[in-house]
Amino acid sequence: MTPTRSMMMVTLGCLVTGGLLLAQEQRSLTLPPGQNPHLGNPESIRSGMALYRFRCADCHGLDASGYRGPDLVAAVAGGATDERLFQTIRKGVPGTEMPPTEAPDNDLLLIIAYLHSVGTVTATERPTGNVENGAKLFSSQCASCHRVAGRGGRIGPDLTRVGIARSRTALVREIRTPSEFVAPNYETVTLVTKDGQRIRGAKKNEDVFSIQVMDTRERIQGFLKSNLQDVVYEKVSLMPEYGPGRLNDNDLNDLVGYLSTLRGADMAVR
Amino acid sequence: MPMRALLIVIVCSVALAAQQTASPQVTSQDLLDGQKDPSRWLTYSGDYSGHRHSPLTQITPENVHQLSAQWTFQTGTLGSFQTTPLVLDGVLYVTGYNNNAWAIDARSGRTIWRYRRQLPEDLRNCCGPVNRGFAMVGDRLFMATIDAHLIALDIKTGGLLWDAELADYKVGYSATVAPLVVKDKVIVGIAGAEFGTRGFIDAYDTQTGKRAWRFYTVAGPDDAGGKTWPTGDSYLRGGGSIWVTGTYDPQQNLIFFGTGNPGPDYYSQAREGDNLYTASLVAIDADTGQRRWHYQFTPHDVHDWDSTQVPVLGDLTINGQPRKVVMFANRNGFFYTIDRVTGKVIVAKPFVETTWAKEIGTDGRPVLLPGNLPDEDGSRTCPDLGGGTNFMSPSYDPTTRLFFVTARETCAVYYSWDQKFKPGEQYESGGTIRPRDQKNFGALRAIDPTTGRLKWEFRYTSVSSSGVLTTASGLVFAGDGDGNIMAFDSRIGKNLWHYQLGFPMRSTAGTTYMLDGRQYLLVPSGSMLTAFALPQRP
Repeated sequence: MTPTRSMMMVTLGCLVTGGLLLAQEQRSLTLPPGQNPHLGNPESIRSGMALYRFRCADCHGLDASGYRGPDLVAAVAGGATDERLFQTIRKGVPGTEMPPTEAPDNDLLLIIAYLHSVGTVTATERPTGNVENGAKLFSSQCASCHRVAGRGGRIGPDLTRVGIARSRTALVREIRTPSEFVAPNYETVTLVTKDGQRIRGAKKNEDVFSIQVMDTRERIQGFLKSNLQDVVYEKVSLMPEYGPGRLNDNDLNDLVGYLSTLRGADMAVR
Repeated sequence: MPMRALLIVIVCSVALAAQQTASPQVTSQDLLDGQKDPSRWLTYSGDYSGHRHSPLTQITPENVHQLSAQWTFQTGTLGSFQTTPLVLDGVLYVTGYNNNAWAIDARSGRTIWRYRRQLPEDLRNCCGPVNRGFAMVGDRLFMATIDAHLIALDIKTGGLLWDAELADYKVGYSATVAPLVVKDKVIVGIAGAEFGTRGFIDAYDTQTGKRAWRFYTVAGPDDAGGKTWPTGDSYLRGGGSIWVTGTYDPQQNLIFFGTGNPGPDYYSQAREGDNLYTASLVAIDADTGQRRWHYQFTPHDVHDWDSTQVPVLGDLTINGQPRKVVMFANRNGFFYTIDRVTGKVIVAKPFVETTWAKEIGTDGRPVLLPGNLPDEDGSRTCPDLGGGTNFMSPSYDPTTRLFFVTARETCAVYYSWDQKFKPGEQYESGGTIRPRDQKNFGALRAIDPTTGRLKWEFRYTSVSSSGVLTTASGLVFAGDGDGNIMAFDSRIGKNLWHYQLGFPMRSTAGTTYMLDGRQYLLVPSGSMLTAFALPQRP
């Protein structure tokens, strides 16, 4: 190697390394342009997890499902953009406990990559069933209670983005055995009024003196407990169990395939 | 000028000068008198004993259902109150988020003056820029600031009189506690243990702002408790924050403070030993800052169970013997009655579900149960890191001799791992997850401090962080986690009144005062103060 060439290579090497270091040390106010290089990279996700544990877990919970701070799994599944995540971490939320940070951009990108890996499903998990048949099944069996892109029932959770929020395994479990875990805001209660009328529905809120529900006819209403004869807390979900007798394995596969495609809807008026 | 005219001029001048310099003086004796004058609330807990109990009797169990809101005050800023307002001569002195502060007309809720502290942009703190209140003496107010200073304000204008730095905020120190004035000193503690700092309690001259003494809550190598830390410099990162106001026993000239947990919070191997004087009750000479005695509730804590609760002083008869005691409902889930002369435990009993200790032994140490040390795989322990109770004030009613506390029934899975310390960065070495099947709830509990036994409870539908206030008419005021302020019959726990505030009381408690012949109940919640009273007679 000639001295000139070696000098050039050394210079180039320094420039490249320096550029990388510079990028790693940069502290931008907005999301750096281009794809986050850490998304889906297992090593990056591990580093992001370590950073998250030190800097975020105390408030947002070790599993990112919220403690003093908001539920970040729900935020990501609910469509929070990387730009929004980046700016929130960088600038903090003035007037709240969320502080700004001067950490390098790279740390923020690692944390964002980690958050995408927690409780959300990447597009690499491809649907396996017959999506068309799944959509028909959804329409006939599920849509009276669940909403997608502004259409359907409201007594059950909105499933517009369920393909991002739930893995295939989780979807199967929640269809076959919905009572195993009932999400807050969907717990089943039956209210017995003083004249003996029974109102069954999903509990939306409650304190010592009052309870708020959506009944099975989708009527939302609050009741003072002093005006009720009884409040019955049921362990069974309002959603019926879809066992093999009600939904065979092939149909289940098709339905889950369809649900996996639900990754948000553009609701903008143009 | 004739002699008589000269005399009139002199008399008038003196009178005018007196009028110009008169200020709502608060003397050391006023502070010692506590609730003797119930138009006032001069210190965090209402008096030096920490009772948070008022002698007022206008609002009773029979008429409390007639209470209604008289006015509300909104801060107009983000962030929630964690403060106890002070009350003097019909004016409220209130601290809020980001070290905003106000003087407010107690009759109408209208602002008289406002103080805003210019805070640095690179603040570090674990748990929000909150503040728990002023202290006052003379014509001065004292506030600890989130950037780790202690400031004195002119009570009439909110103008700054002096500003003393407690510690460097850039490495993670902060201050949220309501100071405690004892004689000519203002006593304050430092927070910031999550950043690997070393806690202390300081005393400053109320006039000059000069530091009189410092007591480190983490023993150094030359201290008697120094051997409870590993050799080396781990004590410099040993935590021991102070963020809840202590109490004062004038007879012994002792101040009592509960100290925070050791740091790093969860990783046992980083700090083998008992880690004195963290998670302890310390009794300190008010003049010198010298430790008289200590009792450690949780030796070598690994669950983030700060002992920063209010130490409540009382005189009880236990087993036929009169005892001077300090009562303490601890975040670790145990209720303690301790001899405040000797520091020896008299009573120790769980007041919530506790899975980490079988009991407190006769030597005062907890008898540990296996399987509760956090590690990388996680271990389930009750209570959770929020504890059996926390920063919310309890109350003691000397008439019924009952201790009232907001209890939290919670559990968590605790994890820990090694973490490299870096100044200015959080240093906790672990974290927690709430078990999915865990149904947490809160309750107001009345405890007999002579036995530790539960007298009654009122369960809430969710966990609450509300403080408690009692009155001599037999009422307990407390809040649930859903935004209700409630009144209970103190003898039996029957709910008598409630009002939905719109936001839960978080670390705040009610205060009560007499003004124009009416008893007011003042409740901070969210960014709002609400004043309640009975209907005015025609």
